[in-house]
Amino acid sequence: MPDILGWLLDPINWSGPEGIPSRLIEHLQICLLAVGTATAIGLPVGLYVGHTGRFAGLAINLANIGRAVPSYALMVGILPIALNLAPSVGYDPDLGLTFLPLFLAMTLLAIPPILVATYAGLREVDRDLIEAGRGMGLTERQILGRLEVPLAVPVIIGGFRTSTLQVIATATIGAILSFGGLGRFIIDGLANKDDAMLFAGAVLVTVLALLVDAVLAVVQRVLTPRALRGKPAPRRPSDDDDEDRIDPAMFGVRTVDVSA
Amino acid sequence: MRRPDMRMNRLFALAAAMVVVLAACSSSGTTPAPSAASAAPSAAASEAASAAPSSAAPSEAAKAEVRIGSDNFYESKLMAELYAQALEHAGYTVTRQFGLGSRQTRVPIFTKGLVDLVPEYVGSGLGYYDKTLVTGDGEANRTALQAQYDKADNLATVLAIAPGQDTNAAVVRQDTAASLNLTKMSDLAAVQDKLKWGLPPDCDKNPLCKDALESYGIKYPPKVRRALAACDAPIAQALQGKAIDFAWLCSTQPAIAQFGFKVLDDDKKTQPAENLAPVVRNDYLAKVDKAAFSAVLDAVSAKMTTDELTKLGVKVGVDNEDLEDVAKQWLTDNGLLS
Repeated sequence: MPDILGWLLDPINWSGPEGIPSRLIEHLQICLLAVGTATAIGLPVGLYVGHTGRFAGLAINLANIGRAVPSYALMVGILPIALNLAPSVGYDPDLGLTFLPLFLAMTLLAIPPILVATYAGLREVDRDLIEAGRGMGLTERQILGRLEVPLAVPVIIGGFRTSTLQVIATATIGAILSFGGLGRFIIDGLANKDDAMLFAGAVLVTVLALLVDAVLAVVQRVLTPRALRGKPAPRRPSDDDDEDRIDPAMFGVRTVDVSA
Repeated sequence: MRRPDMRMNRLFALAAAMVVVLAACSSSGTTPAPSAASAAPSAAASEAASAAPSSAAPSEAAKAEVRIGSDNFYESKLMAELYAQALEHAGYTVTRQFGLGSRQTRVPIFTKGLVDLVPEYVGSGLGYYDKTLVTGDGEANRTALQAQYDKADNLATVLAIAPGQDTNAAVVRQDTAASLNLTKMSDLAAVQDKLKWGLPPDCDKNPLCKDALESYGIKYPPKVRRALAACDAPIAQALQGKAIDFAWLCSTQPAIAQFGFKVLDDDKKTQPAENLAPVVRNDYLAKVDKAAFSAVLDAVSAKMTTDELTKLGVKVGVDNEDLEDVAKQWLTDNGLLS
């Protein structure tokens, strides 16, 4: 059994540009950037297809490609393109090696949960409510902003949580293309047959993912309209687990009829 | 609504194709070698045990059937195929048992007598038994490897080494080599701060990396370095794309010929000599005319330089040409099938 705790407690591993704090910051930076970009793409598209019902199948299937292709394959596949475009587009080729392939692979992975959850969250809203809103003279924009989005918030944030979890775990593969982040410990631990470093790296990533998820769970609860709190998801048929929290992954994924 | 549907169908087709490709990749990754290795030993070990002591006199079967094995990557298979075709041309019957896995699985298979001949890299082959004996001199490595086989019950003979070898190569782009006047590794220290270094993640602890660089007067670690696995596709692409200026590749890696990289001469011989040589079990050699058998293989080895190996590697690994055809063409071009 490698001395994981000993490695984690060693002050040497907590200082300098290769220490845990700087690796943690690198890790969080790229995760934030990827989830942010994915939200900027996935949320509006999800809102559009969710509200209108148009192009839903196309959008969801397109987005799911990002989830189906292994991120590692995506990253390594993007690498030669990112490197070759550097001179013509005019960015530092170093970005084409250490940043772009990882960032794009992570973003493509992060979009589907957000897009699908947003779509599903809006479709779950009671049609009668929306009709009532229309009857009262609300504009489409008002229906979206005052009815659909507030009611769908728990599900949308659920998708956001799934996305963030995946991205935090996946950022580790960037170390293969010499990106920093917590994956550095995993890749370097493997290469140097240093099991303590390898497992400590895995532990750090896991703890980070769980902590971030816990924070987002609180956010999810706070943003959920008071009327929906502490209840199962609205109109959720055959509730087989009786957690009062909405399980985002199950909810977001299962309720989507892809062929629709 | 017609068009989106069609587009979706195409996307599904694309996705399905990808899945098939990925499945194919993963199944080729897990070769049949392990199962062959695990299934075969009992039967073949007993066969070997019964065959070895009563090895036939040379006169009885001067051209006994030879079972040729190889490791599970193109270069080893290619050398095995070259030896196989040369021997077939000389009248021997050859059974091919290529792709026996890595050295870890292949050496026991050879030791148990399941194959008679394997192509071996003399440096790593020696390192399998004793890493401390490996040198930068191919002939010395061959002699030391032979000594290991002699110690192991006179198991096998290492025939003459090829000039060609697949060792760690310090590589730069041609434009870097030209502008900074680089031809050998000794030239690197003076310009080390002008270069972005691509070094494997284990460099700090790897004597063939850190110690070798320091022996050339390079201050370690260099100012700008990127951690990239040696001999891998990304490090070669990063060098080509100018994200790094120095890379550790393998000397016969197709990328070197493909991108026209400049291999810097390891003028202080810091890297192990990895010349290729056929290793043949002595119980097989006892069944044939050893001199005539060796002559066939030596003729092939003698013509196999590092350049030739690299070129053949491009044909097999980059252009996806058929390995047997490539081998046959090369033997023909070098007058070994006439």
